[in-house]
Amino acid sequence: MKLKPATLRTFTTLHSWVGMLAGFALFVAFYAGAITVFHHSLQQWASPQLAATASLDDAQQLLDQVLARHPEAREHLGMTFPGYELAEPTAYWQDAQGVWQFATPQQLAGSPTPPGASLPELVNELHYTLGLPLVGTWLMGLVSLLYGVALVSGFVIHLPRLFKDLFALRPGRNLKRFWQDAHNVIGVLSLPFHIVFAVTGALLCLLFVLMLALNPLVHDGKLMAASTAAMDTAPNMQKTDVSRPLSPLASWHARAIAVAAEHGVADFVPGYLKLAHAGDAHAVVEITGTSPRGLGAGAVALDATSGAVLATQLPGSRDANHAVLSAVYALHFGDYGNVVVRWLYFLLGLGGAFLFYSGNLLWIESRRKRRQAEQGRSSIIMARATVGVCIGVCVAISAAFVAAQLLPALGWRVDAGERWICLGSWALCVAWAARRAPLRAARELLWLAAIVTALVPLAHGLVTGGWFWRSAAAGHGALLAIDLGALALAAGFASLARAASRRSRSGDANSVWADQAR
Amino acid sequence: MWARLGAGIVPGFFLAAALLGLVSWLLPGRWESTIMVGLLAFFPLWIGIVCAALRFSSGRRAWLCLGIAAVAGLSLLRLLQASGWVG
Repeated sequence: MKLKPATLRTFTTLHSWVGMLAGFALFVAFYAGAITVFHHSLQQWASPQLAATASLDDAQQLLDQVLARHPEAREHLGMTFPGYELAEPTAYWQDAQGVWQFATPQQLAGSPTPPGASLPELVNELHYTLGLPLVGTWLMGLVSLLYGVALVSGFVIHLPRLFKDLFALRPGRNLKRFWQDAHNVIGVLSLPFHIVFAVTGALLCLLFVLMLALNPLVHDGKLMAASTAAMDTAPNMQKTDVSRPLSPLASWHARAIAVAAEHGVADFVPGYLKLAHAGDAHAVVEITGTSPRGLGAGAVALDATSGAVLATQLPGSRDANHAVLSAVYALHFGDYGNVVVRWLYFLLGLGGAFLFYSGNLLWIESRRKRRQAEQGRSSIIMARATVGVCIGVCVAISAAFVAAQLLPALGWRVDAGERWICLGSWALCVAWAARRAPLRAARELLWLAAIVTALVPLAHGLVTGGWFWRSAAAGHGALLAIDLGALALAAGFASLARAASRRSRSGDANSVWADQAR
Repeated sequence: MWARLGAGIVPGFFLAAALLGLVSWLLPGRWESTIMVGLLAFFPLWIGIVCAALRFSSGRRAWLCLGIAAVAGLSLLRLLQASGWVG
């Protein structure tokens, strides 16, 4: 495709604008998102001791107790099977005020705080809301759309040299060339990954808003009613007011596995259930689970009193709506395939973070005044913001990891504490970078990130005794990987800090990155 | 650039909605069976229109062309729905 120079210039301007508007949020989303890929392992890592997986009998007792104590839970109740997110089952429902309540075998009274360690959820919240309440999700949806525009415009700008420069990575005197090559090669080679995230990220954040907009516009006001059948598996049953006891939970579990096997899904693992109208003759239970060789979850809906199959949506035999929806979730969360897929997502996620960081550096570099020490105001602000926000969030997340280990040992409240430490240290890093020469701030914050990240395995070992060589000996691969991963990241931050020191000794003085730039 | 971008964002949104509606209602079978496919396709479609709008020679032309296309598309869809020719 031949593009006019004017079109190319327009797309370059567009790419700079959307990059500037969305780049910071995307850096945070990708760095935190790369870590969230391992949320399951993180849950184990941040829990004081490794609990033994509970049994289906424990789950049955939890179900009976919750239904007996909480009448609201009889209308609609969700419950995870033991070993899904946590070793023990968790039941959840909305109380009379619409607030979600959570109960576990140890805590039957119900509590608005979800059980388990709060660290994975904190990192996940940074990933999809930047830690902002209420508007965070919509903001990130908007950011996903800008990200899509940045992908298209970046691709178009690079198109004339796409094949010629595909594997070009030219180190040498022209550092901008080197950074540009790195930005391009990562952008092009991981383009499919980025398209998936722009599309699924926008959809996950804005699905409801989009449905509200399209409903009157193109679906004649019928979309909301039709979407229930497109998303749920269980049919919507009316209550009869004839009471009938539930069949045992273990029988649902076994039936779901058997039905999945009849549909060709040989190794179905039930993850959680949704129960409606418990105690009524029309009680319905929907059991959702995954199979190691399927893309996305499948579900089996049963009559909860007789165990009769009402409907199924299983990999290989589901309708288009359910196939698309479960593919969107699976591709975004990377919870298909085995651990190799998750490591790939982790590395591509860090690569994405580099893409946005390098984009900001290239924006600054293309505005550099080469013949004078004095640089533009906007370049200095951009340099400080990039250092403060991007390196700052790396410090903040590592600080939250350390806090997750130390706070319980000190007897402090861990969920609120680690949130304050995370957001507080991030704000301090941004403030620090705002008052320093950008390169000095970068060097100092990178050393800080290296130190705090190196403290992560240290805190884990000191508090729980789970030193990484013990995890290795005991075969806890997930714990070992987190501790070693933190050490590797710390080494990475340290080497970047050393590169910043080299830059201060031998770099060009006419730049925002000169040692004394103000 | 800004006028053309605005054309891609505002009338472009309605054009994307019209195209999505026409495809999902005109496909054989019930429109309900492709709800999720349509919702998934919407954002890429809209982003594509936003970027394509930059190739118009002027902002006025972009607003005019995309606006007319959007109104025509949505009217056609409404006509097909009201007459019961699609379902």
